[in-house]
Amino acid sequence: MSARPAELVFTDVRRDFGGVRALQQVSATVGPGQLLLVVGPNGCGKSTLLRCLAGLLRPQAGTIEYREDEGNPLTPEERRRRVGYVAPDLALYEELTARENLDFFARLRGIETARGHEVLAALEVPGSRNFGALSSGMRQRVRFAWALLHRPRLLLLDEPFQNLDDAASTRILGLLGEHLAQGLAVLASPTPLTLPFASGSIVELGLSR
Amino acid sequence: MRSPATQFVSEAVAVFAKDWRCELRTRAALNAVALFAVSTLFVVGLGLGPLGVSSSERLAVLPALLWVVLLFAASAGLPRAFAHEEEVHTATALRLAGRPGPLFCGKLLFEITLLAAIEILVVPIFIAMVQLPVEEPVRLLAVLVAGGYGLAAGSTLVAAIVSQARGKGTLFAVLAVPVLVPLLLLAIELTRAAVGGVPAEGVLRQLLLYDASVTVAGMMLFPAVWNP
Repeated sequence: MSARPAELVFTDVRRDFGGVRALQQVSATVGPGQLLLVVGPNGCGKSTLLRCLAGLLRPQAGTIEYREDEGNPLTPEERRRRVGYVAPDLALYEELTARENLDFFARLRGIETARGHEVLAALEVPGSRNFGALSSGMRQRVRFAWALLHRPRLLLLDEPFQNLDDAASTRILGLLGEHLAQGLAVLASPTPLTLPFASGSIVELGLSR
Repeated sequence: MRSPATQFVSEAVAVFAKDWRCELRTRAALNAVALFAVSTLFVVGLGLGPLGVSSSERLAVLPALLWVVLLFAASAGLPRAFAHEEEVHTATALRLAGRPGPLFCGKLLFEITLLAAIEILVVPIFIAMVQLPVEEPVRLLAVLVAGGYGLAAGSTLVAAIVSQARGKGTLFAVLAVPVLVPLLLLAIELTRAAVGGVPAEGVLRQLLLYDASVTVAGMMLFPAVWNP
């Protein structure tokens, strides 16, 4: 039996915070090589959707199914450890250097620490500087390095180009392009983006408040 | 390929090493604990002194005071285990990369060693300041190890439960009472026995059972508390 490709399907996802509805019946399907571009104004629920997809929030209604090769949908706990997640509020340890941070998370994931050094080098991050002493753009690069550490099939990117200069954005777009050769991604942005990928590989999902 | 047990231990040790590395660079918990321990010892030493308590009352009062000092010193540092991760938003990265079991064990290991450091600082000074005679030093060491472990394990469990709540400090104090009071009563009784050289049949066994129960409860409850 041939392995089934990775696929993310979410249907009628709803999430409230207290009495406020953050996300209402959102559905989409993302296959391998595809990037789902979630566009909408501030407060429309983009970050909430990505947190639900990452398994960091449980939706109050709807289903999220993410399959890798095995064909069975992963549990939220499994999904949480498999995805690569980048978000503005994702913090690493300020007291540790970028390299020490990635070494720690590599040990947690049971992978070689050399992989962390490799992604830091690819993103031109000074690994010996404390995360807390890095500029906001460099921190964003470290977040990307952290998300790519375990070679995830699914990347969830919440406003990933925030604070990045042109060179870093280009480098990250290159890495994203390489990732889409086999994996899939969901990217949230408050404004429409022009991405240098084949038009067939981009699926747009518009959210409104 | 590592065996599951080796990977579990490796993850727990990684969390333990990370916590100590961060702690040694910021000294947030160490400073709070040391300040609290020294000031409490100073007050106790000045208030009681070697002649402040009659010899008949010493056995009843001083072991209880020792554990009150240890409890308050520990309370200054131990509740931070998980709350700090939430406050500085590193909890998201931990949730995404780590598994609850090794994470709990790594945090517990950190708290045990922090409490051991507190005991090493507090107990000799306390004994010297109030001139507490110890009839059975080995038994005292046993109660400090078992009681210290229980205090660390109980505090880690409560710290995990309150980490995502508002008003963590108050909630910690409220929840810690039913969890830690049985431990403290047993530890005080055993310390009294060690100091006075009187028998305390079965109390150490009860203390060890408490330690085991809190550890198992922590391991079982933590995934439910930690997972969203």
